[in-house]
Amino acid sequence: MPPDAPLLAAQNLAKHYKVRGGGVLRAVDGVDLTVRAGDTHALVGESGCGKTTLGRLILRLVEPTTGSIRFRGEDLLALKPEAMRRMRRHLSVIFQDPYGSLDPRMTVAEIVGEPLRIFGQGTRAERRARVEALLAQVGLTPAHATRHPHEFSGGQRQRIGIARALALEPDLVVCDEPVSALDVSIQAQIINLLQDLQQSHGLTYLFVAHDLSVVRHIADRVSVMYLGRVVEEAPKAALFAAPRHPYTRALLAAVPQPKPGAPPPVPLAGEVPSPLNPPSGCRFRTRCPVAVARCAEDDPALRELAAGHRVACHLAEA
Amino acid sequence: MTRLIEIEDLAVSFRTDRGEVEALSGVSLHLDEGEVLGVVGESGCGKSLTALAIMGLVPSPPGRITRGRIAFAGRDLLGLDEAAMTRIRGEQIAMIFQEPMSALNPVFTVGEQVAEVLRVHEGLGRTAARERAAQLLARVGIPDPARRLGQYPHELSGGLRQRVMIAAALACRPKLLIADEPTTALDVTIQAQILALLADLQREFGMATMLITHDLGVVAQVVTRVVVMYAGKVVEEGPVEAVFERPSHPYTAALMRSIPALAEGVSRLPAIPGTVPAPGAWPRGCRFAPRCTHAVPECGAGVPPLYPVAPGHHAACIRHAA
Ligand SMILES: Nc1ncnc2c1ncn2[C@@H]1O[C@H](COP(=O)(O)OP(=O)(O)OP(=O)(O)O)[C@@H](O)[C@H]1O
Ligand SMILES: Nc1ncnc2c1ncn2[C@@H]1O[C@H](COP(=O)(O)OP(=O)(O)OP(=O)(O)O)[C@@H](O)[C@H]1O
Ligand code: SF4
Ligand SMILES: [Mg+2]
Ligand SMILES: [Mg+2]
Repeated sequence: MPPDAPLLAAQNLAKHYKVRGGGVLRAVDGVDLTVRAGDTHALVGESGCGKTTLGRLILRLVEPTTGSIRFRGEDLLALKPEAMRRMRRHLSVIFQDPYGSLDPRMTVAEIVGEPLRIFGQGTRAERRARVEALLAQVGLTPAHATRHPHEFSGGQRQRIGIARALALEPDLVVCDEPVSALDVSIQAQIINLLQDLQQSHGLTYLFVAHDLSVVRHIADRVSVMYLGRVVEEAPKAALFAAPRHPYTRALLAAVPQPKPGAPPPVPLAGEVPSPLNPPSGCRFRTRCPVAVARCAEDDPALRELAAGHRVACHLAEA
Repeated sequence: MTRLIEIEDLAVSFRTDRGEVEALSGVSLHLDEGEVLGVVGESGCGKSLTALAIMGLVPSPPGRITRGRIAFAGRDLLGLDEAAMTRIRGEQIAMIFQEPMSALNPVFTVGEQVAEVLRVHEGLGRTAARERAAQLLARVGIPDPARRLGQYPHELSGGLRQRVMIAAALACRPKLLIADEPTTALDVTIQAQILALLADLQREFGMATMLITHDLGVVAQVVTRVVVMYAGKVVEEGPVEAVFERPSHPYTAALMRSIPALAEGVSRLPAIPGTVPAPGAWPRGCRFAPRCTHAVPECGAGVPPLYPVAPGHHAACIRHAA
């Protein structure tokens, strides 16, 4: 793999679901995504825009309808089952719901050690030592190892999930809303932990979030999704300082600022249309405050308007 | 201004397998007519329970109000019988929830549910109730209300369901609207729509609102006064500007420092160490003491009362003891 090649490069990725009644639901519909090693790359957008599906496509937990994925220089979708199995250890995931994602019958040591066991890593004693080391890294103690998930608070459960995700020393961790279910004071602890682990383990994060202030804090790059598409992609600073897509602007303007007297949130009119029947042309046009006639006809492609800043809007200018 | 709600020293316990556990312990707060009060605090601190106590809906058993007083427009609510309380709930105090699905009945159409409220509490006939329901749906910004009346809750998006809940809550022009995390389950764009709608209706109907949330952004933008709760108690209370500019309980201050939106430019969030203690595991004295950077041995001596910090601004921390 060339030294400056991205860790992950997905092209024209799509996942269409056939639904009852004969329609096609375009959950992800032609997405390009390039993630550099060591970055935290955030995916944001309203509920149902395809963030989780995109994450699952990249983890190859669902097979794409079209598209290609290069990961660590290899064509991920071309890998045979055995090669894919070996590749899996470089990919990992942390889920939103620390309650639902941990098997209640297993002890913490079993949960964290499971990937090691599945991949036949080390002897039993070595695995035990590794589990203890992992627990220490996420701020838990060996005393926690024999307990069950229900004995832990939400934040501690998320720590367990993080320890398990790191067991096989992955390169890329898909974090799907990892702090959304947590209390504010615990959220900050977990964000700090994720940042520390990124440093110490050289991790790359694909970070799905709907809280834009969390994204602003943690991300290096951001892809904004709408109805199965990426509509804007930019370095974090550029995205927040000068959003170019009308949807990104609307999304940022809708966030209430925790400062009394600050400009009030501006609602974006309407709701997201159905992914069963997306609007013609630009998918955002039915809610777009600046749409023109052309927007109903031509589907805007992602265009690079500044270094690393790509926007899919007919009206966006460099 | 006239007092609408006055809660004094309210305590609620639950019977559990570990015995009787106190979940609210001595909450006092008030709300004036037409005022928008925010109640903030982390999961389990007692926000919803306070609201349920006002509504007379604390699940009992296992719950029990063990002491305290709730007055609504001067009337003692805790002394009322169920019939009187039902009337107050229908006509004077209304509540909307985070997940409207749980409050709407899945087997009745939206129209039937809103019209039902109007028939029972306003005594409207079938046709009149339906017409008024359509007007209400239009008023809360539901497009094509006549068609929506015939739909079932699951056929609507989360945002539309919340609008239906608001329509049903406003049907009888209540004096007090309690909104328990009304936008937490919604996208920010839809949240902004619902908050704007609530602000509009508040202005139009002049009702007082108690808005429960854990989102400090929502608090800063929507309410005039705020109550901060921690582990079953009120720890700070004051005008929203004062509480944001001079958070006076160390918990409030630490909470504000730890949210990414206010920690702009720092590479590491100043997180609050430890976790929120569960009911039954509350420390003696100030319940925030084990996580507080200012804690001194006296903090464990007794539960600090709300000390005045400025006019109308109080904090339950011994650093403010005169
Ligand atoms: N297995 C499936 N079968 C059919 N439709 C699906 C399936 N999985 C997801 N979808 C649909 O695909 C769309 C994208 O869903 P996805 O879960 O990726 O969204 P998301 O951006 O993660 O949303 P959220 O913020 O709510 O988690 C939605 O309309 C969803 O209903
Ligand atoms: N039915 C019940 N049985 C036992 N305990 C209960 C019951 N309902 C509430 N509690 C306890 O009361 C405490 C306060 O709950 P409440 O629902 O008011 O919290 P909250 O502040 O609204 O939290 P959240 O932000 O999670 O909604 C909780 O810690 C909970 O353990
Ligand atoms: S392409 Fe047209 S409709 Fe789409 S965002 Fe740009 S201006 Fe709006
Ligand atoms: Mg998702
Ligand atoms: Mg609650």
